[in-house]
Amino acid sequence: MDLTLSSEQESIREAVRGVLGARLSARRAQGGVAAERGLDLALWREAAALGWLGLALPEAAGGAGYGLPEEMILFVELGRSLAPGPWLGTVLATHAFVGVPALRDELADVVAGARCVAVVDDPVDAVGEGSRLTGAAQGIADGGAADVFLVLGRQRVRCVPAGASGVHVATRESLDPTRRLADVTFEDAPAELLPADAVPLRRAAMVLVAAEALGIAERTLEGSVAYAKTRHQFGRPIGAFQAVKHRCADMAVRAEVARSIVTFAAVALRDAEPEAPRHVHEAKVLATSAALANAHDNVQNHGGMGFTWEADAHLYLKRAWMLEHSFGTRTAHLEALAAPWRAG
Amino acid sequence: MDIRFSAAEEAFRADARAWLEANVPRGPRPAGVDLRERRDYDLAWQRRMFEGGWAGVSWPREFGGRGASLMEQVIWYEEYARAGAPEITTTFVGLNHAGPTLIACGSEEQKAYHLPRILRGDVVWCQGFSEPNAGSDLASLQTRAVFDGAELVVSGQKIWTSFGNVAEFQELLVRTDPEAPRHRGISWVICAMDSPGIDIRPITTLTGDQHFCEVFYDEVRIPLRNVVGQLHDGWRVAMATLGFERGTAFLSEQIRLARRLEDLAALARSVPGPRAGRAIDDDEIGRRLALARAEVAALRAMTYRSVSLAVRTGVPGAEASIIRLFFSELVQRIDLLALDILGPAAVERCEGSPAARWADSYLAGLSQTIGGGTKDIQRNIIGDRVLGLPR
Repeated sequence: MDLTLSSEQESIREAVRGVLGARLSARRAQGGVAAERGLDLALWREAAALGWLGLALPEAAGGAGYGLPEEMILFVELGRSLAPGPWLGTVLATHAFVGVPALRDELADVVAGARCVAVVDDPVDAVGEGSRLTGAAQGIADGGAADVFLVLGRQRVRCVPAGASGVHVATRESLDPTRRLADVTFEDAPAELLPADAVPLRRAAMVLVAAEALGIAERTLEGSVAYAKTRHQFGRPIGAFQAVKHRCADMAVRAEVARSIVTFAAVALRDAEPEAPRHVHEAKVLATSAALANAHDNVQNHGGMGFTWEADAHLYLKRAWMLEHSFGTRTAHLEALAAPWRAG
Repeated sequence: MDIRFSAAEEAFRADARAWLEANVPRGPRPAGVDLRERRDYDLAWQRRMFEGGWAGVSWPREFGGRGASLMEQVIWYEEYARAGAPEITTTFVGLNHAGPTLIACGSEEQKAYHLPRILRGDVVWCQGFSEPNAGSDLASLQTRAVFDGAELVVSGQKIWTSFGNVAEFQELLVRTDPEAPRHRGISWVICAMDSPGIDIRPITTLTGDQHFCEVFYDEVRIPLRNVVGQLHDGWRVAMATLGFERGTAFLSEQIRLARRLEDLAALARSVPGPRAGRAIDDDEIGRRLALARAEVAALRAMTYRSVSLAVRTGVPGAEASIIRLFFSELVQRIDLLALDILGPAAVERCEGSPAARWADSYLAGLSQTIGGGTKDIQRNIIGDRVLGLPR
């Protein structure tokens, strides 16, 4: 039993944090939070060169040979830094493509950062279940940056090049200025059917979205604490007032709850523990709740500054809402958790 | 990262489980108003654990304990709760607070006399820290002790002393130097509860229970050799183990909470909901139950994380205060949910019914965010010590 980061995992975290800190703070200072495609190409290439996109791939397949917990570490950092880009779809694609001989080159391109993948979560097979896709998939995160769409159906997994015939992509803004959406329409679009099962891929996605939310819960806690130590009113730092201090304490509780259950779920899923599916839903619920509540409190703790566009506080809250609507809302996950209990 | 236990730890678990299955008392624990019966029951159980080699799992071997590692303690308390072993109440202060304090700060003579008696289940200890005017602000305590030869003469009043009327000994904080800064003039002394001048009066709590006492001291004479640690250094002595007050024993409370939640789900399947159908079919109740179970799972993960951090660094982490706060409020959320599920039955008192048990639990649970540091104090601790916010 060990839920702490190993020294190797700590060095992954520090390396990722260092690169993201250096790249993204500069970007924000320039005022443009997201590039046109919703992708910071220089950062993406650097991330690929550093092996971030293939963390859980076997070394024989060109990856680092780690697993879901290490991908979780990456996504916590992506959340902390509000990194733009189709990270989730691209990392999931490496899970789905590995071991498929026909996709060996495609996988190599994905890991090398030459092919971006956006994920279409379609648990009701709204675009069909076969190898020709027809239907609309709306609000696909980072869809405009995608070279390929990874479509997770109820059971089946398919991939479709964004440039294939019958694929129409219309990008639009979202609530979150750092994440663009796309409405994707498939008209009898040819898809490649993959041997992967959508159910475990969807669970991995939930853990990674939860990890990104955890990053937001952590980062907003730290931002609030730092501000409460330096901002003075009534001749004292505001963090000395219990109203502010206790709000920060509640943020710390939420962050610790999220950190613990997300870590536990990631390891349980890696090890195929029987209770893992339940813990994945729990991690998604608790981590997005923590992100939303902490980001909200972080705006409050920053007072008037927190209400400005210039401050980062609103960006964390907006990203938290994007994550709430990625791979199932809290209500949906609570219903999924309650269902077997109602039957039992 | 790993959520499995090692083979050696699993072997320890098998031993613990086998022993508990064979030895946990079958009969119900006395629940009546006579605390003597509870005391006798608890001490008999303690003696049984002692004879089986399971007394004081966290205590070092040289003092008669099991000397179990942190992870083994986790496993022991998990198995302890799963086996339905008696909750640790009258023996709590001796085993989890006074005993560890003596181990850390006591003289050889104090350790040799008291530790075996605590482990064997010969005696009950109680705590004499809080006073009517020193609750959250414990360091303002005023019970004074004046020197008279080889004795301290103690006068004053303590309050919230659990099981004070069935205890042999008390860990007592007294002010021995009224001139010193308030944290510096306090001493930690062992007080025999049968000393002349002690008057113990039970307090009836809002549940009707009487395990709390007020203790009055009228020139009670305590030998100076009963001072633990240095004279006037009692604050540090008390704090040396306060962080461990719950420690790994807390795991049992968590397992019990998880079990109670399963019982609550079963209840929600058997009682009518606010509209048609069973309570559990109600959208809100079903989701609140699911959220509570998620939070119980998170609590366990938090504890495992905290223990594995402590194993790694060798010191208990600051996140213990976070877990404590989260637990206390979670208990109250679950009790509140129970009353919502029960509907009108929540306020009908049929003694011994499940509804009455949940109502009692809800009322008793109000103390969760008061005792051992109120939730406001816990938030201060998190703000000051974990987050480093200014005072």
